[in-house]
Amino acid sequence: MKSMTAIGARVLQTAFVLWAVVTILFFMFRLMPGSPLAAYIDPNFTPEQQAALMARFGLDQPLWRQYLIYIGNVLQGDLGESFFYRQPVAERVLALLPNTLILTFTSLILAYVFGVLAGAYLAWRRGAMVEQVGVPMVLTTRAMPEFWLGMLLLAVFSFGLGWFPAGGTRPPGAEYDTLWALYTSADFWWHMTLPVLTLAIYSQGLPLLLMRSNMLDVMREDFVTMARIKGLSPFSVVIRHAARNALLPVMTSFAIAVGYQIQGNVVVETVFSWPGLGRELVRAVSTSDYPLAQGAFLMIAVVVILMNLLADLLYAGLDPRVTRE
Amino acid sequence: MRLPSIRAAVAGIAFATMLTPLHADPIRTINLVTRPQAAQPAEFQFTQLIAQEWRKLGLDVNVEVMPWEQMIQEIWFSRDEWDTTAWQMVGRPERSDPDEIVFNLFHSSTAEKGFNFIGYNNPEYDAIVEEQRVTLDPDTRRELVRKAQAVLAEDQPNMMLAHPQSTYAVNTSVWDENTVVDQSGIGIRNSWSYIQMEPVGAVHDIVLNSSDNVTAINPLYISGGTDSWITELVWDRLMRIGPDGLPQPWAAADYEWIDNTTITVRLREGMTWHDGKPVTPEDVKFSFEAAGSGEAPMYGPFVTGISEITTDGMDITFKLNQPSAPFLTASLSKINIIPQHIWDPVIAEQLTLETNAESHQEEVPIGSGPYKFASWTLNEEVVLEANADHWAAPKADRWILRIVPNVEAALGMLRSGEINFLSDFPGDPTVVQSAAAGDPNLTAVSTVDIGFRYVAFNHRRPPFDDPAFRRALSSAVDRRLIVGAAFRGFAVPSNSVVSPALGFWHNEETVAGMTAGVELAQSILEEAGYRVVDGALHYPEGVSETLGE
Repeated sequence: MKSMTAIGARVLQTAFVLWAVVTILFFMFRLMPGSPLAAYIDPNFTPEQQAALMARFGLDQPLWRQYLIYIGNVLQGDLGESFFYRQPVAERVLALLPNTLILTFTSLILAYVFGVLAGAYLAWRRGAMVEQVGVPMVLTTRAMPEFWLGMLLLAVFSFGLGWFPAGGTRPPGAEYDTLWALYTSADFWWHMTLPVLTLAIYSQGLPLLLMRSNMLDVMREDFVTMARIKGLSPFSVVIRHAARNALLPVMTSFAIAVGYQIQGNVVVETVFSWPGLGRELVRAVSTSDYPLAQGAFLMIAVVVILMNLLADLLYAGLDPRVTRE
Repeated sequence: MRLPSIRAAVAGIAFATMLTPLHADPIRTINLVTRPQAAQPAEFQFTQLIAQEWRKLGLDVNVEVMPWEQMIQEIWFSRDEWDTTAWQMVGRPERSDPDEIVFNLFHSSTAEKGFNFIGYNNPEYDAIVEEQRVTLDPDTRRELVRKAQAVLAEDQPNMMLAHPQSTYAVNTSVWDENTVVDQSGIGIRNSWSYIQMEPVGAVHDIVLNSSDNVTAINPLYISGGTDSWITELVWDRLMRIGPDGLPQPWAAADYEWIDNTTITVRLREGMTWHDGKPVTPEDVKFSFEAAGSGEAPMYGPFVTGISEITTDGMDITFKLNQPSAPFLTASLSKINIIPQHIWDPVIAEQLTLETNAESHQEEVPIGSGPYKFASWTLNEEVVLEANADHWAAPKADRWILRIVPNVEAALGMLRSGEINFLSDFPGDPTVVQSAAAGDPNLTAVSTVDIGFRYVAFNHRRPPFDDPAFRRALSSAVDRRLIVGAAFRGFAVPSNSVVSPALGFWHNEETVAGMTAGVELAQSILEEAGYRVVDGALHYPEGVSETLGE
């Protein structure tokens, strides 16, 4: 009963956050300088045609009415039509979302698996040479700008050694019957290697350092000492006892990292010509394509909110103390 | 005794009035608008150079940086609120006819809302450009176009700077260098190249790049530069702009002017649509009517001069409202021929909707052109296949356009073979040239553009309404300096809106007669009555500053 109320409250909260996101997005873009008509300046375009275009976009209406129309449409699942592409926003956004999600999650999972293992190892080897070299190295990779790292990887592994392609998700002219066929093809993963590596190198610092400091805390706790006294192997002490407990905050940080990762995606998708939502977003903002920019941001916000919800639920599952509260 | 002293006093006052001039104000701080360095490095650089030279004349110049979107708002839509701004016209095949430039940019009728955003108003000039429009004899028309350029050189409505060179590159281990076509004013990136390029090795696909996404593949929607590369290949037109920059018959077997306002075009025999149906003169008639239906607003202006279209056998006859010299270029080379059996229902449906035909994206676009549509992956790639049944069948198998927003990567891809035709490089052309110089398989070609870069003066705001003042400001800056420093030599100095790439129309005297220097500018200003007081440039006597803070 109590948990039902909690879930209900959580859902209401999520709905409120979504409404706030939609509203802020709507007004934010309209307060920016620039006009969507900038994309259409052409000698062949008469003033009457421009006025007609404004009317078609609904930009001749007062702002509050535009807002009400937009909210009404969003509630019905209609994200509107892109000013620039003259195509439904939802269609474009949904076509690009999978590319972004695969890139984001692959790189994050890689970063977290590596980060957690390396973090645990460094904590275990506290004070050893490997820690003294490892931690500054991690800090260095964490400080490298993504575009710089991306260009570096391109210069070395693509243009220098020729091991990996420099952009896109597939070789020129390659055709796949379904999206599934594309995503499971070796070509796709081969094309994704460098962008994933860039993002993973950039993101591994957080889980690694978090895991290491958690481990150091946990290792001092009584149950670890107890395990040691029992005479368990170091592996069993570190992995089965300490690491499991140190893992919890890292799991939450994963959900938050998905949100942060989107900003990294914008850069990496441009560097590696990756057809994702981040690039679409930048383009939409720069052409004042309000519906498309709103739609793309909204989609990202939905992913972030869902991930947070998931983290909350997951946390409750992993650590029973959370729900009892 | 009093009288002479009064007289002396009166004389003294009169003398003093003669000595101290009538009231004249210093000229206010002049704004010069440019786009940011990151987006437009050359533009940013030349505005800095120009501001520096203008300051030597005693002007207080403020360079204001703003993104393009904001510039549109504050310049284009607020026509009396700016002083000077950097601006550009880009080269397009249809601008191969000078009418679009000499008429639209400067005719007084387009000042209020059209392309004459600077507010230039010269009745003598209006008369010349109106006449060239209706003069069908090319040589007579040429004299008029040259005369128009001479008037502009005298009036200096804009400060013309340079015609940039566009630089593209091709991998010659894939494509026979001798089959690449360098189109005048456009460069090697053109339909003629894509049709005529012959493979020398195993690779038969043209793989090229664009930094812009493809917006739409729609024959009734002028949706962007990159998109036009595709529409030019998928759809045929009656005429096509040839490598020499002049229109030549394409889907038309030939054409004939019956009189000043009537032209008959004979359609080529045996043409078919990509779905196998024959192309008929009725389709052609339909295409021009669709462009004027109101459902294709961007194509509307290209057909407004047509009063009636009739067909007879393979002949299509266009009756015009008035003689139109640019008709071959602006209409016949512009309108895509589209299949009536596909677009008739679309237009009928769109007429009942709030949207127009621009919103209609065919699943598989059907044209009759030398390439057929094969696939389109959003923001990544467009693939076209050679149409072997076409009378000008391409030598390549496929035409694959890759979207590469990272310019540096595009050049890397060309060197690594991921692309074999560099068709878009917004960066520094010297980088492409040096890459080609260091790689025997790459050839870079730089071509003088139809487009141009300039600084626009706002004629609605003094002192820019004074031709002498504009002449002075324009002559203060040596264009060779601009070309060398801002364009790194990849441009030619300009003093005419008609590019030297349009050899037939270009008036070379406008450039040859160009002299520059701060001293020259100072002497022009002095002659026109402007004076420098305490280092600040002042209006001529009796002129007040009406726009200062």
